Amino acid sequence: MKEKALLKGNIAIATAALNCGCNCYFGYPITPQTEIGEFLSVEMQNRNLGFVCAESEIAAINMALGAASTGAKVMTSSSSCAVALMQESLSYAASDELPIVLINVMRAGPGQGYIYSSQGDYNQATIGGGNGDYKTIVLSPSSVQECYDMTQKAFYLAQKYRNPVILLVEGLLGQMAEPVILNENPYPEIDNSSWKLDGAKNRPSRKIHSLEPNQIKLCNHIQDLFKKYKTIEQNETDWEEYCCDDADILITAFGAYARNTKAVCDYFRKKGIKVGLFRPKTLYPFPSKRLATISKNVHFIIDIEMNCGQMEKDVALATLGSVPIWNITKPVGDILSPETLIKKIEDIIEQEEKKYANNI
Amino acid sequence: MSHIKIDNNKCKSCYLCVDVCPKKLIKKSETIGKTGEYIAQFCDKNNECIACAQCAMVCPDIAITEVIKS
Amino acid sequence: MQTIFSTPKSIKENSTFTFCPGCDHGVAIKLVAQVIDELNLQEETIAVASSGCSVFLYDSLDVDCIESPHGRACAVATGIKRAHKAQGNNKFVFTYQGDGDFASIGLGESLHSALRGENITAICINNTNYGMTGGQLGPTTAMGQITTTSQSGRNKEYHGFPIKTAEHIALCEGSSFSARVALYDIKNIINAKKQIKKAFEYQQKGLGFSFVEILSSCPTNWKLSPKDSHKKIQEELSKIYPLGIFKDVENE
Repeated sequence: MKEKALLKGNIAIATAALNCGCNCYFGYPITPQTEIGEFLSVEMQNRNLGFVCAESEIAAINMALGAASTGAKVMTSSSSCAVALMQESLSYAASDELPIVLINVMRAGPGQGYIYSSQGDYNQATIGGGNGDYKTIVLSPSSVQECYDMTQKAFYLAQKYRNPVILLVEGLLGQMAEPVILNENPYPEIDNSSWKLDGAKNRPSRKIHSLEPNQIKLCNHIQDLFKKYKTIEQNETDWEEYCCDDADILITAFGAYARNTKAVCDYFRKKGIKVGLFRPKTLYPFPSKRLATISKNVHFIIDIEMNCGQMEKDVALATLGSVPIWNITKPVGDILSPETLIKKIEDIIEQEEKKYANNI
Repeated sequence: MSHIKIDNNKCKSCYLCVDVCPKKLIKKSETIGKTGEYIAQFCDKNNECIACAQCAMVCPDIAITEVIKS
Repeated sequence: MQTIFSTPKSIKENSTFTFCPGCDHGVAIKLVAQVIDELNLQEETIAVASSGCSVFLYDSLDVDCIESPHGRACAVATGIKRAHKAQGNNKFVFTYQGDGDFASIGLGESLHSALRGENITAICINNTNYGMTGGQLGPTTAMGQITTTSQSGRNKEYHGFPIKTAEHIALCEGSSFSARVALYDIKNIINAKKQIKKAFEYQQKGLGFSFVEILSSCPTNWKLSPKDSHKKIQEELSKIYPLGIFKDVENE
């Protein structure tokens, strides 16, 4: 029988990392993710693995960059404003094609904000805060179990595509405890012997660099990266559908804030109003094609986010303006209760009905 | 006969070797190099080179690729 | 017939330095390559190049090499060293940085690597300005020195004071070796090689962070001939930045 434990999201992430062979962690404290570093400081030292209390987030991500170049399974974790500090090196890692797993346990606000839970880093994670043309894979769990499972997946995707992977977690989820089944790592090991830096023994020396003075080579390199992103989009796009098949009204939401929307769907279904939920599990690559297909038959979409509507533009891009999009957003604070959501959605339905009546 | 080898493609005409040679055996040639200047040339008609390798040590471009003592 | 000098084995065949004529970077890289050969480290070395002219290390040095973001070479080297240790390997890791990289934008990473006693070696080329961008005022620009951003000379009112890097590193408990050398004449080149070798050996012995600051010329930006640049180092800069060993844990 599989082992089961009651874990906070942060500890589930750290446990999953260890279980799938993470051998290096570099970090700097910031609430609400600090437990990851605290937990690993004990576990990794017990196992003689690479662990450094870095002097800054900038140092932490660069240690991760160096460690990743050796073929190690590397993780670093941080939160919103400090992930902003790491963006330069994420851009380097994307260009260098180095596998780094970055956990962002989000807090609220631009600037320092505060430690309240939020989804304010959707843009930072999916569009990228670093310079140049690049993409990072972004996974979005909505339960502590998914925190565990997606951490394992993050390591696999990072190694498979030699690309940074961000696990975008709300502070809420990082701090919340739920029962977790401690699954074995289901993913195969990826051979990295063709590129890692371990000394030029019996082979030509290798160099890992993003600087490229040759214009044609630089152009080809970036185009090759985008061919890779295309493959990632084809293979790795993932989402969850809840009562979507016959939905007239479609809710789009991601992460922990998608949880309450299932109860909302159930409530309206009981009343005979067909509401469904579409939840992207990969924020990049965004499941645009599937969302476009589902939205063909819906009357309108309600986008629910704990920010000022950052995912809404991806929903709009996917549906190409064919469906009206409403939003229920709140940039910071407690998760909206099903009752609040139901009331807000009823208001929207009323307004849509008026619009419909006026058009007739 | 001790001697040195200069790689004309690597010489950037800084002339540090010209100054350092204790026997004054390296001088500007009449060949123009990559930088548009006359490159260095080894001229040892009287076999005076002592293979001290100081020229190779100061050369910032490893253009003096070999120093042979015989 | 005896070969007194030949191109070091650790220098890539047919590679040409892209540095300006007379630049000491080439001499420094040659010395590093010679030491790598003498200590037989080529097959187990991972070099970390940084941003600035020093990045071109990887074009000529025939060892595994990674380019670091500006200033972060010591952090990247830390990651490499620790990751190899975690995988049961002991690899030789060194950084090759300019003074702007090591002592300005990257001072935090550099100092903390030394404080942690990270078992890596850092080589810092100090040419008292930002060379690649055309010679701006840097952390080591001497008082009174003219650069493109201190056109009437560095003064304390506007620019404050420069840093004496090797002395600072020597103060860190985790550092094993810290020296400042120069390349302006044969005697100093031979000494520079000796100190680089010692720094590398200290890493091999696992003694902690070892550091060599190399006073180097930047003829293009100093607007001097290569020969006069060396004269400037000999007569001016080595007075401001004294040459010597500031820390040596094996000789204390």
